[in-house]
Parts: sequence; C-alpha cells; structure tokens
Amino acid sequence: MRRENTGGIWRALRSSPVETLYRWQNRRFLWLLMAAVTGALALIAHVFFQNYLYMPPCEHCVYIRFAMLVITAGGLVAAINPKILALKWIGCIAAFYGSIIGIMYTLTLNKIHHAVHDPDAIFGVQGCSTEPNFPFDLPLAQWSPGWFKPTGDCGYDAPIVPSGVTLDSIQQWFVSMYTASDGWYLIPPLKFLNMAQSCFLAFGVIFILLVIMVIVWGMKAAKNAK
Amino acid sequence: MRIIFLKTVVKSFLCAAFFAVASSASAATEGTDYVTLEKSIPNADKTLIKVFSYDCPFCYRYDKKVTGAVVQKLEGVVKFEPFPLETKAKYAQQAARIFAVLILKDNAAGTSLIDDKSLFKKAKMAYYEAYHDKKERWDGGENDFLKTGLDAAGMSRADYDAAVKDPRVEELFQRWKAGYDVAKIQGIPAYVVNGKYLIYTKNIRSEDGLVALIKELAAK
Repeated sequence: MRRENTGGIWRALRSSPVETLYRWQNRRFLWLLMAAVTGALALIAHVFFQNYLYMPPCEHCVYIRFAMLVITAGGLVAAINPKILALKWIGCIAAFYGSIIGIMYTLTLNKIHHAVHDPDAIFGVQGCSTEPNFPFDLPLAQWSPGWFKPTGDCGYDAPIVPSGVTLDSIQQWFVSMYTASDGWYLIPPLKFLNMAQSCFLAFGVIFILLVIMVIVWGMKAAKNAK
Repeated sequence: MRIIFLKTVVKSFLCAAFFAVASSASAATEGTDYVTLEKSIPNADKTLIKVFSYDCPFCYRYDKKVTGAVVQKLEGVVKFEPFPLETKAKYAQQAARIFAVLILKDNAAGTSLIDDKSLFKKAKMAYYEAYHDKKERWDGGENDFLKTGLDAAGMSRADYDAAVKDPRVEELFQRWKAGYDVAKIQGIPAYVVNGKYLIYTKNIRSEDGLVALIKELAAK
C-alpha cells in the first residue's frame, strides 16, 4: 500500500511536475517538513552538542542557528494555511532570507575554520567580533543567552568539559570522538564535512528547493493568467 | 618624424601608467585598508595600539608570528602599546590588571614589551599557550588564573597584591577601556595607529605590507 502511494507520488511528479509541485506547495506537509528539519537541527545543536557534549557555539555558529530558526518560523507561518497567499509569501520570503544568510554565514565560518586549524594561516582572515551582531540589531544574545550568546572560541567547536564534571558513558564516547577530531565533523574520524560545510549543504538544498517551488508558482500563475 | 612622435606617446603612456601603479601601491585606502575612528583614543600620537584578548586565537597567532617583528621594524616611528580587552574573556579583568602590573615593571626596567625578557610578554604568552594549546579554562577560579601569569613572570602573589594597588595600574586599566569601542568595529586583534586609524585585519596581506601601512598612517 505504502509502495503504491510512493509510486503514485513519483508517477504524478513525472507526468505533470508543475501541477504536482504546485499542489504540494499549497499543502501543509512540505512547509512543516522544512520547519521540522531546520528546527530539529537547531535544537540538536543546542541541546545535544552544546549542553550535553559541552561543545560551546562560536560567533558564526549562533548566526547559523538564527538563520535555521528564521526558516523554521517561515515554515510554520506558511503551514498555518499555505493557500492563503499572504502566509505563503511570508513563509517563502523568510525561508529565502534564512537560507541566503545561512549560506553566507557558513562560507565565512568555513574560511575561519580552515584558518584556525592551519597553524601557518595568518593573513587575509578576520576573526570573530567581541559581541554578536545579529541582523536588524536583534539583541538575541541578551534575550536568550543560552541559545544565542557565543561562548565558544572563534572557529572552534571541540568539546570543552569543565573540570569536576563526570561524564556518563555516552557523553564520554562522543566527547572522546570529537576531541580526537578537534571539532565537529559529520564523520569525525575522517574529518569529513565540518559544521560549516554540513550546514552549507542544508541551506543550499533548502535554497534550491525554494527556487524550484517559486519557478513552479510563477509558471502556474502565468498559465492561469492566460 | 612619425616614429619619434609615436615613441614619445608610448613613453609618456608608460610613465603615466608606472606612476599610477606606484602611487596606488603605496596609498592606503580608507574603507579598505583602514577606517578612521569616530572617537579617537586620547594621548595616542605616534603609537601602535594592539587591542587583544588572551582567548582570541588570531591574537595569539599575530603575537606569535607578526607583532614582534612589525614593532621592531617600526622602532622610532611608533611606540607599541598593548591594550588588553577587559570585557571579552572570563578572566579578562584579572588579565588586564596583571598585564598592567607587568608592563609597569617592564617600563621601570627599560625592557621592551616585545623582548623575550619582558615580564608582560612572558605572562601573555603563558596565557595564550595555556588557553589555546593546553585548553586550560581555570575552572578552579581566579587564583588559578593569576598563578599561570605570575609563575611565567616569576612574580610572587604577595608582590603582585602589593603592586596592583599602584594607582598607575588603575590608570592603565581605565585607559584600556577605550579598546572596547575599537573591538566592536571588526573584532580583534585590532591594530590602531595614532589612536585614530584602525587597520582592517582581513586586508593585511603581509608583514611588510602591514609595516608600510602603519608608517603611512603614522605620518598622516
């Protein structure tokens, strides 16, 4: 039954892609999926990596968190009712904005990450600010320091376990792994895809999907106008 | 006749191009290489100020590889003045006070702050190494933090407690507060010439380029 449904979805997408994608963007599921994925990524970063594994966020890490949550908020607004044009617009603009600033933050962080991990790199890189500067001068670090105050060192995200803390076996396993790789990587033993690169991929996928959806939206609008 | 005329035109063009390139190579550009501070740091004529913090990785890197060599090349042009940032790191205030004590001692002994014998430099490098290389966070508290710097400088805690009461320590501490507004502009490390011109760190491309830029700004 499940296979038939999945097969049906792909058949519909292949036979009439514009109609199918337009139908999807007017339903809640995709917007909720986008909100759930970005919200979950931000939540995991805060609860699991920052609080549980003592990996304090750097300046650009909290900006990336902010960009993720902008997309989450946009997805939730649109999901109220995507058939209402104003809500869909708000969702779309927020998601575009979040993914674009997210891509920019990840590119900067990636540059800093490579500079701080390369002992010979000195010139041509600006490190971090002494205070976070969020878009629109939002004082997020004061409103919610746990989420938005950078407590980690510029470009570093390796665990810093306070002395006197006894780690449980799961914490110990993860902390040892990330300490050995000197920071967060998607596959730590191989140092494959650092945090900036992984988030870049997430923002990039969201951005590309949004572009496709907007093109479909425009094509449908043009067709209806005729 | 025609050939002579053409030669003159070509020569003139090459000369103009050469001078254009030469002048653009030496001229520092405001907005790209540096920015003029809205609020200047007082009493800072002919100085090179470096705003830094012991927990800043690029400050460590610059102090390890660049600052000393640059300051040496600028002897007689500007006086080097380190400005420890008293707001950033967990023990930033304690660091600023211990640095003030040690700078005063270095000054009294006539020791340059970039000299390996400088007590300030010894303590500063000890903090950098402890924080960045050994990942020390001094969870035991302020006393542990002070011990790292004092041990490196070879100063007893009793001597430090007496020296920190010197009113000149507080004067330096107050003077360094100007570093806070400077640090907000582009982060740290932040090099400021004559208390007016903040150099954009990301556009520093080489040690010699930095020296030339500082010389040019100091002469402004």
